[in-house]
Amino acid sequence: MKIKILVFGQLSEIINASELALLAINNTDELNKKLFELYPKLNEIKFTMAVNKKNIHENTPLNHEDVVALLPPFSGG
Amino acid sequence: MTEKKKHKVFIQGAITPTFIADSIAKHSGKTAIGAHDIFLGQVRNDIIDNKTVAAIEYSAYEEMAENLFHEIREAIFAKYDIVCMHIYHSLGLVKTGEICLFVFVSAKHRKEAFDACRDLVEQIKAMTPIWGKEIFEDETHTWKINN
Repeated sequence: MKIKILVFGQLSEIINASELALLAINNTDELNKKLFELYPKLNEIKFTMAVNKKNIHENTPLNHEDVVALLPPFSGG
Repeated sequence: MTEKKKHKVFIQGAITPTFIADSIAKHSGKTAIGAHDIFLGQVRNDIIDNKTVAAIEYSAYEEMAENLFHEIREAIFAKYDIVCMHIYHSLGLVKTGEICLFVFVSAKHRKEAFDACRDLVEQIKAMTPIWGKEIFEDETHTWKINN
């Protein structure tokens, strides 16, 4: 199972990429844990997640080829 | 309504005064309108740690933002008695003093235009996945945070 991860704003500097792919991740809690293992500096900034362009507010199951976006605080306008 | 769905919000670079003027002119045929309210966001020369902002570079999760702009638009139309609404937001580099957000609401009467425009701007700021990287005069940068 493959998940595509889009990285935006300041997070793209912490992760040093605008896109990632991770295998064998079943839900967003697992993804969050994995990301903090890989990039401990994520602690420095708050972010939310969107799965297939929808904001999520709780642990959400992930399926093959889902797209998860990591969204730091917005600053448009 | 179909036309509104396809309406593109993002503009590369600054929004020019000419674009805004043309947009106003296009409404002269819509004679049911009695009030326009326009909000323009301009890039400010904030001073952070003794460094002056020279420009903001905007980026967005464009596909998600377009969906959200559509949802916000529909909700505003449902809530207020307005005739039409236009939203434009910059992407890429916008220098201080240039316009990065243009929100244009038209109604029969001023109250609906004022109320809808304010609500719309607040929702755009809070809900849309757009980020501003503040570029200083010395070319270093920081990430903007909305209040």
